[in-house]
Amino acid sequence: MKSETGFDPDLFNRFPTQGDRPEGEEEGLKRVWCAPKGWEYLTVVNNNYVGIYYLGTAFLFFLLAGVLGLLMRVQLAAPLMNVLPQATYNQVFTMHGTVMMFLFAVPMVEAAGVLLLPQMLAARDLPFPRLSAYAFWAYAVGGLAFFGSLFIGLAPDGGWFMYPPLTSKAYSPGINTDFWLLGIGFIEISAIAGAVEIIVGVLRTRAPGMSLDKMPIFAWAMLVFAVMIVIAFPSVILATLLLEIERAFNWPFFDATRGGDPVLWQHLFWFFGHPEVYIIFLPAAGMMSMIIPTVARAELVGYRLIVLAMIATGFISFGVWAHHMFATGLPPMTAGFFSAASMAVSLPAGIQVFSWIATFAVGKPRFNTPGLFAMGSVVIFVTGGLTGVMVALVPFDWQAHDTYFIVAHLHYVLIGGMVFPLFAAMYYWIPMVSRRPLSERWGRWVFGLMFGGMNIAFMPMHLSGLMGMPRRIYTYLPGSGWDTLNLISTLGAFMLAAGVLLFLIDMARNFRLAPEEGEAGNVFGAGTLEWLPTGLYSTRSIPVVKSREPLWDDPNISEDVERGRYFLPRTATGRRETIVTSPLLAEPQYVQIMPGPSVWPFAAALFTAGFFLALTVQAYLFALVSGVLGILAVLCWLADTDLPVPENDVDIGAGIRVPTYVTGPQSHGWWAMMILIVVMGMIFAMALFSLAFLWGNQPSFWTAPPPMLEALPIALGYLAVIAAAWGTRELHRIGKSWAILPALAGAIVAPALLWLDIGAWSAVTAPDAGGQGAAVFALFSLQGMVAAIAVLMALYLGWRQLRRVVTARRNNTLDLTCLFIAYTGAQGLVGTLFARSIGA
Amino acid sequence: MKTWAILLGGLLVWTTHFFGLYAIAEIAPSRWITVLLTVPCLGVDAFLLLRGRRLEVRDTFAGWRRSIALGGVALSLVAVCWQALPPWFAGTE
Repeated sequence: MKSETGFDPDLFNRFPTQGDRPEGEEEGLKRVWCAPKGWEYLTVVNNNYVGIYYLGTAFLFFLLAGVLGLLMRVQLAAPLMNVLPQATYNQVFTMHGTVMMFLFAVPMVEAAGVLLLPQMLAARDLPFPRLSAYAFWAYAVGGLAFFGSLFIGLAPDGGWFMYPPLTSKAYSPGINTDFWLLGIGFIEISAIAGAVEIIVGVLRTRAPGMSLDKMPIFAWAMLVFAVMIVIAFPSVILATLLLEIERAFNWPFFDATRGGDPVLWQHLFWFFGHPEVYIIFLPAAGMMSMIIPTVARAELVGYRLIVLAMIATGFISFGVWAHHMFATGLPPMTAGFFSAASMAVSLPAGIQVFSWIATFAVGKPRFNTPGLFAMGSVVIFVTGGLTGVMVALVPFDWQAHDTYFIVAHLHYVLIGGMVFPLFAAMYYWIPMVSRRPLSERWGRWVFGLMFGGMNIAFMPMHLSGLMGMPRRIYTYLPGSGWDTLNLISTLGAFMLAAGVLLFLIDMARNFRLAPEEGEAGNVFGAGTLEWLPTGLYSTRSIPVVKSREPLWDDPNISEDVERGRYFLPRTATGRRETIVTSPLLAEPQYVQIMPGPSVWPFAAALFTAGFFLALTVQAYLFALVSGVLGILAVLCWLADTDLPVPENDVDIGAGIRVPTYVTGPQSHGWWAMMILIVVMGMIFAMALFSLAFLWGNQPSFWTAPPPMLEALPIALGYLAVIAAAWGTRELHRIGKSWAILPALAGAIVAPALLWLDIGAWSAVTAPDAGGQGAAVFALFSLQGMVAAIAVLMALYLGWRQLRRVVTARRNNTLDLTCLFIAYTGAQGLVGTLFARSIGA
Repeated sequence: MKTWAILLGGLLVWTTHFFGLYAIAEIAPSRWITVLLTVPCLGVDAFLLLRGRRLEVRDTFAGWRRSIALGGVALSLVAVCWQALPPWFAGTE
């Protein structure tokens, strides 16, 4: 394979360099990457801290949701128990599911990525550390406020998937449902921010030489995971937005009596909801694929097959959403191929399981705590997978739908596929961040209690479900045959909780955070880069990677890295920096200057959470103020980024020089903007789908749209917006000082075009007149939001131009703003034409 | 882009076929339209398989890329056939 960037791979042979490095280099790194003090813990952005904050908070939510689960089990331990009143029980089961899925599972694996990936890829940090900090604080502040709704009786109570019409204003008049809809909003923002960080981090900040075929399997898993978030989460973002708008403004998206359709919610929700299972499972599977080779003391069997399986899972998991909807009366043809795809998705999962079993078989496995949890996970996950294939069969699903059989199935999948791998991972990686590993003896007890408790709790639920016990009932009559099974489940749940409690005690006894140095280290003898000696700056120097397990294949690598004999053994510009490499072969491209600690991500997160929470309690003025302050905080956070540095290129080791700044598709900022555009595009595509869906299912409510010919000037206007964005880039390239003017004009014209379109449609329908009006005006709302962001970005660009920080060479802000303005024009064009073509 | 297209080609064919089936089922359920969609998809898969077999394997990365590409196409072939069967049996004329 020829070089991807023109970099000569023979230059890698200059490493490790010989002799000692000049004095003061390591001190320089320590000074730049110094530890926080006092209130600086709120402004810290490096992954060593943010990752730990993130993990700790996600685990706290696991414990809180677990307590809710125990409460439910106490209520169901015997017939006609009265521990929780019915209304409270509804809130408890809704919060249990919501918190586990949205506040524990996704953030937990994202947190593991933030903590582990830079070390595993030997990067100094992920490329957007302030974005990581923002994602964490938005999640933590918002999540705790959301959970607090339970204590004032305002927690959501419509189940974790919030089906309308139960959650419509007519049947849920309080603000409980709004807490869910808006509370999930900022968690979605946080998840997408984390996904952007992870995709760009994995593809652009790997150690030199770490081509895709040498990438740790966990990094592969996190890459697929993050891409899936980018594709799946927009669907639930749109769904929550539409339902909240329906509740607040009476736009009937889901009201079947007025041209809406409640099944639309199910499509939108499950297009996110089923991939969500794999979004949770894949990173956990990645952890398993890292842990098992070390435990088995053998190379992972079938690395290529596992990578293929992960990618295939990412694809096929988007073709199974309707298997949650078999009971809604899907056409037989649709039900048929969704059933087929649901069975097919078990193949890639099976490949991974067989690879793990084969690795255990060919190696010399150690039955230590990570190993026990890994093996236990395989057993539990396979059991859940088998019942998954059962419910993929339409006739069986009709029988088991909404029974405790499904509760058993999903807990086997999620506990086997995520919770057990997570505990294996905690036992495995804690020595990387703590001065002491956790106790092996206690660990075996933790495993025994959790494995036994899990099976005792959930195995009987298969039977109670098959005997007809519906999920979500708060009590049942004696003599239904469910009494003994429920009592056993409750005992099992407490046994499982005892295991978790023991784990907490072990953590209190042994976990001592060592972010700077002094961690227990590679106690299991693993072969991947996260076990290199590290400080707050990650590794002292960034090694050249020549195999998948460099620590096994090169016994001197740790010493050479620690002595600074590889890339970037010092701070080349006196700032925080990392090497950005090419996406396929990881050839060094440039040095990224990284932003340091800042209070603004924290402030922006605080105001984001404030905005959503104020909307929930209908404090609109407070929400407006909070929203404006949030935007200002983001602008302040950006103000000291993308600034010129004196050095145009620097020596990154062994005489190899790379630039300190690049623009266009080479730059990491460009990648992040493209991912953001994909997110916006997905939200918009799902809105277009909603319009078409309502037309297909409620044609009797449809009125003829305005004539297509009338849209011609608007369409031409949007084309002009795209041309203006493109023109600005070209004019800047040839050095025109007024180059930004076309972009500014384009950004201002876009809202005016939207106004014209709204005028034309207002003559035909209104947003509260029916499903068609609601869906069309939802498209306008999205376009309005995108156009407003484009205006804001254009003004920000103008401000930077006035500060003279946009130069001919350093023009990323201009590049990215133009990209977004062009997207605004393209989205407006498609929306205008599509809305008029549906039902014409 | 070329490498990503090689790596993901088979799975992109599967995606096209799957969402095509969904559109057919929602708009105009018909087993013959299903066949019209499935045969070209299988053809593209077969083409990708032949092209994939001829990919260079000069170094470890190229070999890895080839095996992932071929695996994806093989999986796509199986999955496209598999998911076309129920519409064939359940579809209307």
